[in-house]
Formats: sequence, structure tokens, C-alpha cells
Amino acid sequence: MTAAPRIAYVGMTHLGICSAAAAASKDFATLGFSADHQLIAALGAGRLPIIEPELDALLEANASRISFSSEPADLAGCDLIYVAPDIPTDNAGRSDLAPIEALLDLAFTHARKDAVIVVLSQVPPGFTRVHQRPARKLYYQVETLIFGRAVERATKPERFIVGAADAASPLPESFAAYLEAFGCPILTMRFESAELAKIAINCCLVASVTTANTLAEVCERIGADWSEIVPALRLDRRIGPYSYLTPGLGIAGGNLERDLATVVALGDALGAEVGVVRAWQANSRHRCDWALRMLHDTVFAAKPDATLALLGLAYKENTHSTKNSPALALLGALPPIAVSAYDPAVEPEASWHRGLSAASAALTACEGADGLVIMTPWPQFKALKPHDIAARLRGRTVIDPFACLDRAACRAAGLTHYVLGAPL
Amino acid sequence: MLTHHSPEPRQPSRVVILGVNGFVGRRLATALSDKGTAVAAIGRDKVDLAADGAGDKLVEQLRLDDTVVFLAALTPDKGRGIAAFLANVKMGAAVCAALERVPPSHVVYASSDAVYPFRAGLVNEESCAEPTDLYGSMHLARELMVRQAVKAPVAVLRPSLIFGAGDTHNSYGPNRFRRMAKDGRVTLFGDGEETRDHICVDDVVALIVLAIMHRSAGTLNLATGRSMSFRETAERVAELFPSKIAVVGTPRQNPVTHRSYDVTAIYRAFPQFRFTPFEQALATAHRE
Repeated sequence: MTAAPRIAYVGMTHLGICSAAAAASKDFATLGFSADHQLIAALGAGRLPIIEPELDALLEANASRISFSSEPADLAGCDLIYVAPDIPTDNAGRSDLAPIEALLDLAFTHARKDAVIVVLSQVPPGFTRVHQRPARKLYYQVETLIFGRAVERATKPERFIVGAADAASPLPESFAAYLEAFGCPILTMRFESAELAKIAINCCLVASVTTANTLAEVCERIGADWSEIVPALRLDRRIGPYSYLTPGLGIAGGNLERDLATVVALGDALGAEVGVVRAWQANSRHRCDWALRMLHDTVFAAKPDATLALLGLAYKENTHSTKNSPALALLGALPPIAVSAYDPAVEPEASWHRGLSAASAALTACEGADGLVIMTPWPQFKALKPHDIAARLRGRTVIDPFACLDRAACRAAGLTHYVLGAPL
Repeated sequence: MLTHHSPEPRQPSRVVILGVNGFVGRRLATALSDKGTAVAAIGRDKVDLAADGAGDKLVEQLRLDDTVVFLAALTPDKGRGIAAFLANVKMGAAVCAALERVPPSHVVYASSDAVYPFRAGLVNEESCAEPTDLYGSMHLARELMVRQAVKAPVAVLRPSLIFGAGDTHNSYGPNRFRRMAKDGRVTLFGDGEETRDHICVDDVVALIVLAIMHRSAGTLNLATGRSMSFRETAERVAELFPSKIAVVGTPRQNPVTHRSYDVTAIYRAFPQFRFTPFEQALATAHRE
């Protein structure tokens, strides 16, 4: 093959859209496919179903090279077809593989026989090998999407991890040409290793985060401050400047939980000792409810009918996704009090809490409330001035797990400011 | 974690209390009567659950669709040995036999935090129930017996150390400290370093009532989430007396153990429930 390969992404999910935009940005003609006609029409008109920093601009700048279709026959014109649907999970983190199996079947059916098909979604070890078909080219590639940083991750990957039926055989020309355009290392390994590599990455991240979450709780109780300790850890070469050391409300999001559930299931089925992974899961469940416990201890114990201001509903900043959102988990456990909520990207839904109402702005939500909880660290919330909050809140308690607000300024404003990992 | 078969609170047709003459039983009967709930109070005087033929006798007292609260047990102060263990299991067998013959609509089984070993660390409902004594083993066995015998929802409640006025036991903690303080001196095991979670009897009763009204099923630990050392507990007790009470240690005989609870499951199960502050509950018990 001499001409540049034509790329397709099947499944216009967060992953699929961002990856397709990245492909177009590397000068490849790119097709975004979904069977959802309305979604395709919206994408064709430049209306994105997701919020992702820099994505609109990236798509606009590369509009001439990217097209969208809901017609499966259009896949026949593509040389390299990524299959990238979301893999739904249940409450226990177990994957529902039916959607990807359906899309994979569609890709095999409509792609040319010489086309390369790549599974990009997160699948359990063993999935890709058993879905091979005779005389077809199937590969697996690890995705490392991070909501809010998806464009950077898609356009400037650290490396590619590729799973192959035979790791010793060179990659097909179209696949290699595409990956090489990103200028990063390409690590080819057998299917099972690549599938487990994705899980291994996430387990390492969870180990770091759980260490931070565990010691943050100890800090809160002994008068230490985790934020003072973190810089010392980052300067340790064995730990590193980019390590996941910021404490959080468990490991929200779903994908990490999915991988932990996969490791536990594999360990149980195969007789491997995976107790540490169960401990990570238990710690995550415990820390997920930090804000709820703080509210009971600092607000409800003194005033059972307290009203609340809630800032942030999305599961993290710069996304509209509420899947596994700590804010929604908190709402589900609150007594039937009045809660005034604001999120820059999420409209409150009545089904989340019977006393929930939507505020038009962050400070409006604070008007007359007995306490404030900031559950998503949106940049807008970091710009709030504690004095402005104090002027509107009736109570003095601010539960701010991610330290959006300046702690000294909160003290100066007369607010009692509770932060993960800081002395209570 | 509990799930509620009645998301909105609902009066049961009748509540049968087994063990109504105990520390919790008396107060529960009063609390339910105050709410207008029909109560059938059964103590050992009416049915001796450890006696032969107790199951048949209990059947005569039960109605279809009763809510049954199973509190009756020989507590550790009545014996920690094999005889007490067997008697308690025999009581459990009699109750289960009766519940199989007269199916209830709901059962609340009052277990104990003795089902957890002290090395369990921060305890929640997912902590491994691995008792280290016969009392805890008995409760765990009775939990399983009830769950096997009853088809209706079963709530297993595992209280921590309960204190309050009218305590029929003399277990180490606030109640015994109050009795000791009357003589001007509270003596601790070691220096009282062990931390425990003490819950007042009124909070235990309130949580049982909530479980009844919501027809809850599952497991819930009854604790406050606030642990303190026995020394601190003793000093709080001492502060209630007008004269100075000496809180003194003794040479330590046993290793220090701690117990703390994550009580998030209570917040989730009953969002409107509020614990009585320890100092307030202690003062109330002192007055009573």
C-alpha cells in the first residue's frame, strides 16, 4: 500500500469521536460510523454529544478530512477500522460485551476482507482471540482515554500497545503507517498481554490513588496534611512527578472499577490471590462516602433540617458524564432536605433527590444554605471567592473534598473548610 | 446494608417482642406502644425459649404476618461457656421452628458485634464475620438459622456496646463506670487505652423501630461511628458526679484492642436518623 490508509471509527462514543478527530488531525481521511442516524446527523452538523476541551476546535480544523455515516456499506471504503463502543458495566463493575460483539460483527460483515479491524474498547483478557475470524485481520489496541484530557491523550499518546494473534509478525502496512504517524513507541504483544496491560495500567493507578486515599484519612485524624506530603513523594524518582497522588472520593468513573472487578473474577476463577484488589475496592467504597459522613458530622448533627448548596454533579470536571458520579451517590443518601445545585454542564434531575432544585449560578446556589458541598472540581468553582460564598451562606460549613477553594481565604472569611487529607 | 420493603414507614399489624424483659426489650415495647403499634410482649415468664417444647408454646403466641423482633439471649454476663452457647442455640432453634409453622411478615434479629474479630479494623457490614468466642459464634449461627427458616424479609442488626439506664447487665463500659463512680473510684483494665463505640439504648431502639416500620432486610451494624478509649469514657462519666472521681489504671493483663465503625450504612438506610450525642446520652442515663 502506498496511499495513506483510510481510517474508520465504529461507535461514536467519547472514545470514538476523540480518536476519529485525532486521526483526521494526522492527515488521514477518517470516517466516523454509528447506526444512530440522529447522532450522525448531529455530528455532521458540528453538534457534539460530549463535552471535551479542545475537541470542537480540533474537529473544525480537520473538517475536510472527517466524515460521518450511519451506512454500514461505507466501511468498505476503509483500510483500518477501529471498533470503539462504550462497554457498559453493572453496579459490580461487570462488563456487558453484547454491544461490542454486535459492532464487531457489523465491521466484519461490511469491511473489505483485507481491511484491518482493531478492537479499541476495554475488553477482558481473552476476548480478542476468541473473536478472530478465518482469513481476517483482527487486532486489539489499548485505549487510555481520560475524560477532560481526551484530545491530548488521542493526539499525543505516550505509546501504543497493540495486541496481536502473533506478536512476532509485523503489523499490516496500513496499521503500522497509521500508528507511526503519531511518533511514539509501538509495543506489540500477544492479545492476552495487551488486554491485561490495560488492566495493569489501571491497577497501578488505583494502587497509587488508594495509597493517597488511605493516608489522606490518616492525615485527617492525626493533624497531618496530605497536600504537604505529596510534593515530597513526587520528587522521589521511584514514585514520580506524574503519579496519582491526589486523594479523591474513592475511584469514581467506572473504568477503573471494571478492571478491578475483572482481576477479582480472574483471580477467583483461576486460583490467584487477589486480596489486595478487594482491599482497593473496599477502600474506594469507604472513601466514596466521605462527604456524606462529613455532612452528618458537621451539619446534620447540629441541624437535622439543614438546607444545602451543592456545586458539581458531573463525575469530574470538564465532562457532562454523571456515571458513577460521587455527587449523585451523595444525593441518593441525603435526607429529604432542600438542596440547591449547580453544575456548568449538568442539569439537575428531580429523580436524583426529592428536594433538589436547580440554581442558575454557583453563588446563587449558596443563598441561605446551611452548608456548601463542592463535589466536582470545575475550574469555575476554583475561581469563587470564599468571601462571596460566606456572604450568601447562612451556615459556615464548606465541604470541599478537592480543595477548590483557598483554605486560608476560607478561614479569613469565617468559613469552616473541610478538605480531603487535611486535619479535621 | 439494608433495603427497605416499605420505602415509606408503615405500621405493622403487630410486633412480637421475644425477650421483652431485657435492657432493649423493655424500652422497645414502650417505644412501639407510644407509636400506637400493637405489641405482643413475650418474656421468659410467658415462654421460656430454652425449655423443651418452647417452639410449640411460641406457636400459640404467634399470628400469621406478625413482625417478630428476636432479642432473647443469654448474654455473656450470664455465661460465656458451652452451656450458654447451647442454650442460646436451642432458643434459636425453638424460634425458627415456630416461625416456620407460623410465617411472619418480617423478622428483626438482634445480633451482636461479637461476630467480628477485633483484628477487623474499621468495621462495616462487609467486614468478615469471624467470631472469636462462643457468644459471637452463637449469634452468627442464629443469624443463619433465622435467615434459613424465614422466607419473609429479615433484618439482622448487630449492635456495638449498648449503654443507658435500666441496663440489666454489668458489662465493662459506661454503665459499670457509673456504678463504680458512686463509690468515688473507677478502676480500668490497664490504663483504659482500648477504644470502643458505645451506642445509647434509645438510639438502638430508634433504629430497631425504623427497621420495623420500613420492613427492612439485610444487615446493619448499630454503632455511632465515634470510638473513644475506656479512660476517656470513664472521665466523661466522672464529670457527671459532683465530687471528684478517681479514674485509676491497673497493670495490663491483656493486649490492647480497638474497635471503630464506618456507619455510612446507617446514614444511607435512615437518612433522617440522628445519633444522640454521647455526652447527652450519658447525662440522660445518669439522671434516670
